[in-house]
Amino acid sequence: MKEMIKTIDVCYEYKNISGHNPARAVNGISIDIKQGEFVVVLGRNGSGKSTLARLFNALLIPTEGTVLIDGLDTKNGEVIWDIRKNLGLVFQNPDNQLVSTTVEEDVAFGPENLGVPPKEIRQRVDESLKMVGMENYAQFPPHLLSGGQKQRIAIAGILAMEPKCIVLDEATSMLDPKGRKEVMDVLAKLNKEKGITVVLITHHMNEAVEADRVLVMENGQITLSGKPRAIFENVEALVRAGLDVPKVTALAYELKKKGYRINGLPVTLDEMVSILKELLNSSGIDKNSKLNYSANIVRNPDANKLNNRADNEDIIVIKDLNHVYMAETTLEKKALKNINLTIKRGEILGIIGHTGSGKSTLVQHFNGILKPTSGSITVDGLSAEKKDLKELRKKVGLVFQYPEQQLFEETVYKDIIFGLNKLGLTEEETKRRVFHAIDLLGISPDLLEKSPFELSGGQKRRVAIAGVLVMEPKVLVLDEPTAGLDPKGSNEVFNILSELNRNEGTTIVIISHNMDDIAAFCHRVAVMRDGELMMCDTVDKVFTKASELKSWGLDVPQIAELMGRMAQEGYPMPFEAMTVQDGVNALDSLIKSGGIGHA
Amino acid sequence: MLDNITLGQYIPGNSALHRLDPRTKIIWTGILMVAVFLLETWQEYVMMGAFILILLMISDVPLKQSLKGIKPLLFILVLTAVLNIFFIGGTPIFTIGPVKITYEGIYSAIKLFARLVMLIISASLMTLTTTPIAMTDGIEKLLKPFERIGVPAHEIAMMMSIALRFIPTLLEEAQRIMKAQSSRGADFDTGSIVSRVKSFIPVLVPLFVSAFKRADELADAMESRCYRGGKGRTRLKSIRFTKLDLSSSLIGVAFIALTFGARFIFNI
Repeated sequence: MKEMIKTIDVCYEYKNISGHNPARAVNGISIDIKQGEFVVVLGRNGSGKSTLARLFNALLIPTEGTVLIDGLDTKNGEVIWDIRKNLGLVFQNPDNQLVSTTVEEDVAFGPENLGVPPKEIRQRVDESLKMVGMENYAQFPPHLLSGGQKQRIAIAGILAMEPKCIVLDEATSMLDPKGRKEVMDVLAKLNKEKGITVVLITHHMNEAVEADRVLVMENGQITLSGKPRAIFENVEALVRAGLDVPKVTALAYELKKKGYRINGLPVTLDEMVSILKELLNSSGIDKNSKLNYSANIVRNPDANKLNNRADNEDIIVIKDLNHVYMAETTLEKKALKNINLTIKRGEILGIIGHTGSGKSTLVQHFNGILKPTSGSITVDGLSAEKKDLKELRKKVGLVFQYPEQQLFEETVYKDIIFGLNKLGLTEEETKRRVFHAIDLLGISPDLLEKSPFELSGGQKRRVAIAGVLVMEPKVLVLDEPTAGLDPKGSNEVFNILSELNRNEGTTIVIISHNMDDIAAFCHRVAVMRDGELMMCDTVDKVFTKASELKSWGLDVPQIAELMGRMAQEGYPMPFEAMTVQDGVNALDSLIKSGGIGHA
Repeated sequence: MLDNITLGQYIPGNSALHRLDPRTKIIWTGILMVAVFLLETWQEYVMMGAFILILLMISDVPLKQSLKGIKPLLFILVLTAVLNIFFIGGTPIFTIGPVKITYEGIYSAIKLFARLVMLIISASLMTLTTTPIAMTDGIEKLLKPFERIGVPAHEIAMMMSIALRFIPTLLEEAQRIMKAQSSRGADFDTGSIVSRVKSFIPVLVPLFVSAFKRADELADAMESRCYRGGKGRTRLKSIRFTKLDLSSSLIGVAFIALTFGARFIFNI
């Protein structure tokens, strides 16, 4: 088949800015992507993926080497518009690529630029909107759409140019799971029905499972390339590259390491179910076996600690909390309905729920940013409705989504002490706190005198969190602290938070869409839906209610889902298992207790 | 706080006013505004008032909505009218201490008030019946002839439409940054004026940084969607003069002639 994208020894070097060494973002890449292929490019933040995408689209011209798009050289200025018409680019931030004040005008933007006659533009706009399932939103202003809807509009805007290929540059990284699924479904459809070549750049492994081919990028180079199955076999290489594998793959890999006989590695849930069935059957455990293992070895030790904490005192008590936005107007919206919730001192509480379910509204009550319309909230004995919020804000630190966007000072140090300055501490105490915080967050002291705007994305986020941590809050609330971070960066943040909780006893509340992270790091989970608190219980109790969670548009950790599926098939399954480690422990002890040990 | 600002007051509808070409509306709004300032006799005022009222009625816009535009300006309107009462000399009706209320004062106050109300209503009639996109298209087309003397018509229109697109996004962002900074101990509500203005630095800096970043990304996105200025560009909805524009313009001319014609016929 014809080659859609061909690169020959492509290098790209960013110009030397402010004394930095010229950085080779892309360093000698030669790839061929065939017409109609669905290719996923995986790589950490800063591995050069976005630069590569821009090279495909002639937004960047290679420093060395050649990029051919459908046979056309991006260096040739005369064909640049043909290249961009044939290869559309969807960007990461859904907000910053929509141009017009209504959806249909935005979709029309591309064909308008190409000088397509109005009648045909109309036709293309209607068809494109239908392809992405947004035909009922033609007259909407973009700012009223969800992230997933915005990205679908961006895709429609490219479809209207009748491209042969769509490249998505981390276009799903700022979306919630629902939005991500919407976009993935649209892409699969375009690829299958219209034969459009899709290049999806991402760090979400689950998006790579269905691809025809996966490329792994590291330091500007392609280090692995092949079918998803073949790629995921290299568990260790992937982890080294700061990436992840699907949880079922990791579970099978760990079991293999323990000596169990597993043929090949599964990449999907279905595959893992059949592999596990085979394993259990061959170990003499069948549908009638009794469960004979201790739940204590299942959950990791951290999770078990929670049981000892259950009788701890309450730090935040919320009673009959209601919050209404824009009360008594036509836009009135009940964001919180009769919330009753207590948060224990020293626990890590996860809050999950679909976008718009009231999670952020809820946590903004904890430090008085929002005031209850009715009901009460008490933090460590202080009422959050008080006028003077200084004391309250000292007790509760709130880290907003994408906190790096709040940095503003000339130096990192000044930014970190922004809040501290108002407390009237001595200089020594201020310094002590800053160094304590950066030590905990792994920020190098060399960075303190740098401008925060010079740092990388991950470093900026840590600095922003440090600015809250120096206040030494008793409760630290984080609204999606890992949004946009790659698996390694995300893991690091969670490990820091765990450490903070363990060593300093800080109570932590985390809003997240990543159920695997919630399962691995939280003691309890609160589930929100349409402004109501649906349940709040320990991690294992919440995630075993898979069918309810799914009906509310939420995911379950993949391991929990696996256990549920096995139980449905009649096998005695440890429901408490939520993480890969849990799964290994549980299956190991289950198989051993079943009488047959290692192979 | 910031949520209360609604932008682009366009009220969807299908009235004759909605269907007019935006250029017709922009030009005639201009003509009406000039005409309002030329009004002199009370007959002319009544004529003009009646005409604007008729426009209001055929516009399909709820009366409440069109009067909304007056509300924020009501204070200034009343103030200027009241000042007129006090400061225009003439036949006194009654006096309170040093203040003389004159017949002429009241008369001119009423006239001024009526003029300003008519101005506001005719301007808001235009924005209420025209989508922001049609408006920028109209401005672009109207400025087109001036391109030869260096007026960047297309660029002005594109800038206006991008501004309209991003104002809600930036407002949302400003609000989020304010919340985040107050969580870190920023205080926007107390202290002297100087310290309050200063307290906005932590909001403005990130807001500007992000606005520039957005601009950068938007430029990339536009370029990758083959944007290369106004040349050779077509439009999804190209605006076009229709019979409706012709007939309503004729009615407009007739009305203006009727209103001011009397003055010339009888006064000369």
